[in-house]
Formats: sequence, structure tokens, C-alpha cells
Amino acid sequence: MIWLVASALLFSIGAYGALTRRTAILVFLSIELMLNAAALSLISFSKLSGSLDAQVVVLFIIAIAAAEVAVGLGLIVAIFRRRETTSVDALRQLRG
Amino acid sequence: MQETLLLPLIIALPLLGFVILGLSGKRIGEPLAGWLASLLVLGSFLLGLFLLLQGGAKWTLAEWLPGIPFSLNLDNLSGVMLMVVAGVGLLIHVWAIGYMHGDPGYSRFFSYFNLFIAAMLVLILGDSLPVVFIGWEGVGLASYLLIGFWYHERVNADSARKAFIVNRIGDLGFLLAMGLLWSMFGTLSISELVEKVEAGGYSFTTLTLAGFFLLIGAIGKSAQVPLMVWLPDAMAGPTPVSALIHAATMVTAGVYLLVRHAFILHGDGFLAGLIVAVGLLTAFYGALCSLGQWDIKRIVAYTTLSQLGFMFVAVGVGAYWVAIFHIVTHAFFKALMFMTSGSVIHALGGEQDVRQMGGMRKYLPATHLHGLVATFASGGLVPLAGFWSKDAILAYSFEFGPWLWVLMLGASVLAALYSIRWYVLVFWGEYRGKAHPHESPAVMLWPNHILMGGALGVGFMGLPYVIDYKNFIEPYLNKAIGDFPHEKLPVVTEWVLIIISAVVAIAALWWGFRYFQQKMPAWYERFQTAALQGFYADAVYNALLVNPAKGLAELLFGGDKGLLSGFAGLGSLMGGLGGLLAKLETGALRFYLAGLLLALVLLLGWGVLR
Repeated sequence: MIWLVASALLFSIGAYGALTRRTAILVFLSIELMLNAAALSLISFSKLSGSLDAQVVVLFIIAIAAAEVAVGLGLIVAIFRRRETTSVDALRQLRG
Repeated sequence: MQETLLLPLIIALPLLGFVILGLSGKRIGEPLAGWLASLLVLGSFLLGLFLLLQGGAKWTLAEWLPGIPFSLNLDNLSGVMLMVVAGVGLLIHVWAIGYMHGDPGYSRFFSYFNLFIAAMLVLILGDSLPVVFIGWEGVGLASYLLIGFWYHERVNADSARKAFIVNRIGDLGFLLAMGLLWSMFGTLSISELVEKVEAGGYSFTTLTLAGFFLLIGAIGKSAQVPLMVWLPDAMAGPTPVSALIHAATMVTAGVYLLVRHAFILHGDGFLAGLIVAVGLLTAFYGALCSLGQWDIKRIVAYTTLSQLGFMFVAVGVGAYWVAIFHIVTHAFFKALMFMTSGSVIHALGGEQDVRQMGGMRKYLPATHLHGLVATFASGGLVPLAGFWSKDAILAYSFEFGPWLWVLMLGASVLAALYSIRWYVLVFWGEYRGKAHPHESPAVMLWPNHILMGGALGVGFMGLPYVIDYKNFIEPYLNKAIGDFPHEKLPVVTEWVLIIISAVVAIAALWWGFRYFQQKMPAWYERFQTAALQGFYADAVYNALLVNPAKGLAELLFGGDKGLLSGFAGLGSLMGGLGGLLAKLETGALRFYLAGLLLALVLLLGWGVLR
């Protein structure tokens, strides 16, 4: 149970960070925190229920997060080269 | 009768002219465009003559509409009409080459002219009613285009619209008749209808109704009372148009239609009485209106109305061949009258008011001669064309009832008077205008010479039986119309009728000749003011029909506008709401995220609390 509380705390910190930080890299970090919180909760549920299925999902989350970071950081670097900023509030052009 | 492809070619020739001149008329230019158009009509005329001499022709396209073949038929009746339409039409074409000289729309004019002839030929040759209807509508379209030819002036365009709209009323009658005949007999081919009607076995009341609808169609096209209002206004077009519409083609189509369907009309007392009444009314109305006009072309236009009334009376009393005979003679003398008027207008540089004319016999000797012959033929002087056909109508009227004969004699006195009034005002007295009259060029004089020959001579085709037993046109036409035997009047009666009508015509012409040279008395001036307005027929129609219809249209338009603005309001309301939602889409990433999380918390909270 304590792991679940920890996971909720971790998620909340991540969400707070994603909402308050302006720099794209920090937003990114916060999202990683939220992802890991989700993975933590999945593992604790797996422990509680005694089934290993959720752990497979966690493996997937780790793999996808790695790929996402690679692509996301690439994007941020490219945007920074062009615009000299990574503030998410300044990057509004892509709205529909 | 032979099946031949030459028959549709008669129609195709002027149609080809319409296409060629319509597409590249500007490049062909003046006067070649006019000659090309005339030559094509000449081709139709010669082709028609050739086929007619071989005893007629037929042509059928089997599957045109489901169950209705496209069939053309050249028999004696349509043959005579073809000769008139293409023959007189040709002369008017040639004359127009001179009259339209220098007009900016020269080739456009001849393109429409050819379309008119083509449509009229379809109307005449059509053997099934839908084919006739194509020609019927085509003629309406061409007349619309031609009456409004000088469309820069609003009056002309209005007149064209008036002619078109009034004619639509008649067309409704035609369509209803078609539908009724189809439901009765299951065919619309005229030749088959003849057989089926003769075979019998149908309701005579319904047939009368079909005949009545046909009559409405004819009344519209032939401008009879009460649908006569479009014809005087049709004078807005150039003079050759007036000559073509009034003398040879469009207005006679109604009479032709009735004669074609003589098998429906014949022996029906109700229809006969109705047709006679309409014709009689029109004959008097037209004649009286003509006596009050000042515009040279409107004078002649109303005389056409009157003469068409004569033709209707002939149809009503069962003298179908006489109606066609009168169409033929009328085509010659009325075309001559119009084109003489046109020559005078041309000579005076566009002046149309007879009060600015007079004394033309000194300036325009050849045109004066044409005018004289036209007047005498139209006034019914022995032995010119108009006399014989008018006399035949009178004789048949006498058989129908002596009272009708008396009335028709009165109408023919008026005919003599309006003809001579036109002649005196234009050609006698001193010249009252300021232009310098000059005689027309040869290209305008020669068609008139030929027409003058016709106005003198064509009447001899149909001499009354007491003079000549070899009446050429009666048996010839009756082959196609069908035999409707009637008892011939006794020889003495016939002679008395001929002499009375001859003497009356001479007396009326002579009296009118003297009378119209004097100053008019006060009562005549009063009559003239009323006649000038067509006895207020237009005003009555405006008050009774046009203005209420206009009011209704405006009311509906207002309602429409209200409804539309309601819809527009609803639309802009929805648009505004959408705009509010669109404002949420800012592009700020953290704003979206906040929304996402808020929704998540709300959803979770809802799920837990539930």
C-alpha cells in the first residue's frame, strides 16, 4: 500500500511540475516522473494481485519512455536552434 | 407520299443558318450575312416546292419519346403554309437586307430570323403534337428575341416580355389539350388522331373540352380577344420582324392549328359559336383600335388583329379551307403593307408618327404604288386578293346565319376604312415632317414588287363557284383537311352577296378617301383618344391582373425576406457560439494540460463518489 501512496505523490509532483514549469526540458522531466509513477503503481498492483501481467506492461513503458525521450529531446534541440527559446508558452504556432 | 430525308432538311437549312450566323456572324459581316440567311430560306422553299410537286412527303423517327415518334408530314395543307412561310419569309429576308443596313446587330438579326423560320417550319410540318409544340415554343422564343431586338431601350424589352408571357397563357391551353388527347386516345400523332376520332367510341364532351383547350392555345398565338394585348406592343421590334410575325408566320399559327384539328372542332355547336364570337369580337376590336392609332406600324398591327378575327370566323363557321385561303392572301397584302410602311419609315429616317408624314406619293412613287395596292387588297376591292378570301368568308357566314353576314359586312366596311385611312395619312396631302424623303434601294423595292403581284393575283386561286367552277384551292386543301360537305348557296344569292360586298367595299373606300382628308369632327377625336389606348384594355388588365399579381409577389418576397433573415439570425447565433469555443484553442500547452488534469480529477472524483 505504501508504494501506491508513493506513486500518487510522485504523480502529483510530476503533474505540478508539468503545469508550472515553462521550459520544455523541465516539462519533459515532469512527464517522465508521471510515467514512472504510473509504472510504480502498476508494479505494486502486480504485487498485490500476485499476477505478473502488469510487469510486462511496465517493461513496455520503460521502452517507450526511452524512445520518447530520444525523439522529444531531438525536437527540443531543433526548436531551440531555430527559435533560441524552449518556453512552451512562446511556442503557440501549432494550434489548430 | 414518300418517306424522305429531304423533309427534315427543309427545317435543318434555316436552323443551320441560325447556328452559323449565331456563332460567327460578326466575321461574315454585312451584307453577306443577310444573303446567306436568305439563300437558306430559298433552299427550304425550293425543297418544299419540289417535294410538294411530288405529292407530299413523310418522315418519322420511330423512338423519340417513349411511345411518341418524331414525325413530320408534308401534305397539301402544310404545303400551302410552307409556301407562304418560306416564300413570303424569303421576301421579307431580302427586304431586311436593305432595311437593317448599318445596324450594329445586323448578323444577330438574321440569325434570329432564320431561327424564326425554322421554328415556324417545325410547327407547320409537325405531325405529332409534341413536335408541333416544339415549333410553337420556338416561334415564341424567336419572337421574344426579335421583338426585344433593340434591347437597349427598356420599352422594347418590356414589349418582348409581354408577348412572351401572354403567349404562355395560350401555351397552357395547348398543353392541356395534349394531355387530354393523350389520355383519351393514347396517341399524339395527328394522323392517328384523325383515324381514332373517326372510329368513334369516346366521350364527346371530353373531345369538346380538348377542342376548347386547343382554342385557348390558338387565341394566345393568334392574339384574339382577350389575349390580344401583346400584338400591338410587338411593334417595338424592327419593321421586318413585324412583317414576319404579323403577315406570314406566328399569328397565323393559331388559325393553322385549329384548321389542322378541324376533325375535333367540326360539328360541335358550342365550339363553333365560341370561335365565331371570339373572331367577331376581335375583328371589330382590331378595326376600331386601328382607326385611332398615330403610329404607322400600330395602325397596321391592329388591322392584323382584325383580319385574324376574320380567319377565326371562317374556322368557326366550318369553312376551314377559306381560313387558310385568307391566311395566304393576307400574308401577301399584309406583308406588303408592313414593308411599305417600313420603306416610308426608312425614307424618313426612322419617323413612325403619321402626323409627321403625308404627301409621300410625290417623293416615293414606287412605294406609293405598293401602298395603293396593299390598301385596296386589304380593303377588299374587286378583284384583288383580299376581296376573294373575304368574300368567301362572307358567303359562309351567310350560310351560318344572315345576322353574322351583316356583322361581318360591318367589319369589312371598317377594314376598308382603316386601310384607306392609313393610305391617306401617309401618302396624300402635304408633307408635314422635316426629313428629306428618299426612295428605298432596289433590294427593298423588288420584294415589294413581287408581293404586290401576289396581292393582285393570289385571290384568283379561290374564285367563288358561280364565277369559276375550277376553284383550285378548295379541293386541294380539303384533301388534307378532310371533307366537310356543305350546301352551296343558290346562284342568285351568291351573286347578290358578291355584288353587295363589292359595292360596299368600293363605297367605303371612296367615302373614307374623302373623309380622312378633312379635319376630324369632335366626336371622332374623342373616339380616337379611346382607340389610341386600345379602349383601355391594357389599363383594365393592369388593374385587374397585373397589379394584384405584383402586390402578391411583393408580399411573398417580403415573407421570403423575413424567413431568410430568421435563418440568417439562427446561423449567426450558432456561429457566435462556435467562435466562443474556438477561443479556447490557444496553443498554450500548459493550458491544455491543466484542462486534461482537471478533467481527470473530475472523472476520478465522480467515479469515487458515485
